Amino acid sequence: MTTSDLIDRLAGDLKPVPRGLLTRRLIIAIGAGAALSAAIMLLWLGPRPDSALAPGTFSYWMKFLYTLGLGLAGLAAAAKLARPAGTATGAAAAAALLVVALALLAALEMATAAPPDWPEMVMGATADRCPWRIIVLSLPLLAAALLAMRTFAPTRLALAGAAAGLVAGAFGAFIYAFACDETAAPFVAIWYSAGILASALIGALLGRPLLRW
Amino acid sequence: MVDAEERLRALMIRSLAGDSSAYRALLTELGRHLGAYFSRRLGAGSAEPEDLVQDTLLAIHSRRATYDTARPFTAWVYAIARYKLADHFRRHGGARSVPVDDAADIFAPDDTNAAIAKSDVERMLATLPPSSAALVRRVRIEGDSVADTAAATGLSEASVKVGVHRGVKALAARFHGRKQP
Repeated sequence: MTTSDLIDRLAGDLKPVPRGLLTRRLIIAIGAGAALSAAIMLLWLGPRPDSALAPGTFSYWMKFLYTLGLGLAGLAAAAKLARPAGTATGAAAAAALLVVALALLAALEMATAAPPDWPEMVMGATADRCPWRIIVLSLPLLAAALLAMRTFAPTRLALAGAAAGLVAGAFGAFIYAFACDETAAPFVAIWYSAGILASALIGALLGRPLLRW
Repeated sequence: MVDAEERLRALMIRSLAGDSSAYRALLTELGRHLGAYFSRRLGAGSAEPEDLVQDTLLAIHSRRATYDTARPFTAWVYAIARYKLADHFRRHGGARSVPVDDAADIFAPDDTNAAIAKSDVERMLATLPPSSAALVRRVRIEGDSVADTAAATGLSEASVKVGVHRGVKALAARFHGRKQP
């Protein structure tokens, strides 16, 4: 076919593109993934038992805020990296800031606690299970995010995959937080972050083969 | 380059709204720019540039929702073209990396081979002393006869011939074996 035939065909095929299509499609995909992930969490782990900590304290909300913040940064990064020549340095900086902030909070908590308490603050009761559970819960979100990304045009495939992995890991961790009893900042800073980082790495590895167009 | 950006971006915005005649004009012009770009990168004399142009136009069409209207349009097109070119090298066994010039590489104001050749020649002549450059330009490029050039410059015909010969030799020595961009 000649190029001008192709152009005729494409022009004849033209439909309007609604504004904000890319962001909307990404959010819908994440929402669907989150619904599936939440269902898995409820069936597999169940929401956490009542704890002595009242919902009014910062400790209660800390892990939800941390994971939500990382998820939103990941979403912003994914939306930019989904476009040709997109860069996401702002979102990356925001994510890094959140990680550092929680790390400082964790250091502060440990500094104001007695050393015999430290192992408990760092390991809690579920350190060996937490990152793996977060990874499992992130998988439906990762699948959804990658599926959405495949309809876009990332030119930096591993990075785009990593952004999808960050979104998936962070929102997966957010969902996990409902089933998780731990509230110590050191625990969250280490084990939640580990699960989220692992999810980002999985996304990066899958990005190159899966996001080609 | 700035004019091309304004004009093409306006066409793209209309195309995104569904204006198919604007879209046809846009794709036709993009096809020309892309053809020149890929020919330069691949070397003329093969069918590959045309295939790549069509691949790229198809990609532009199917991924047009990824253009952010708040950002430069030519940069978006250029990123897609580079991506398709890199993909081509990857699939057809070449570890050649695609140099990151800027979007002006595709959207130079005068895109024809003649314009490129002329600017290349002027740049080459600028490396000679002005008197040599003038002789080479008159005799070899503008096609004046040796006799006319001698009359115009006040040199003897023999001097003109020697000057042209030396200038061309100097250019050949400087540019022999220079890699194609």
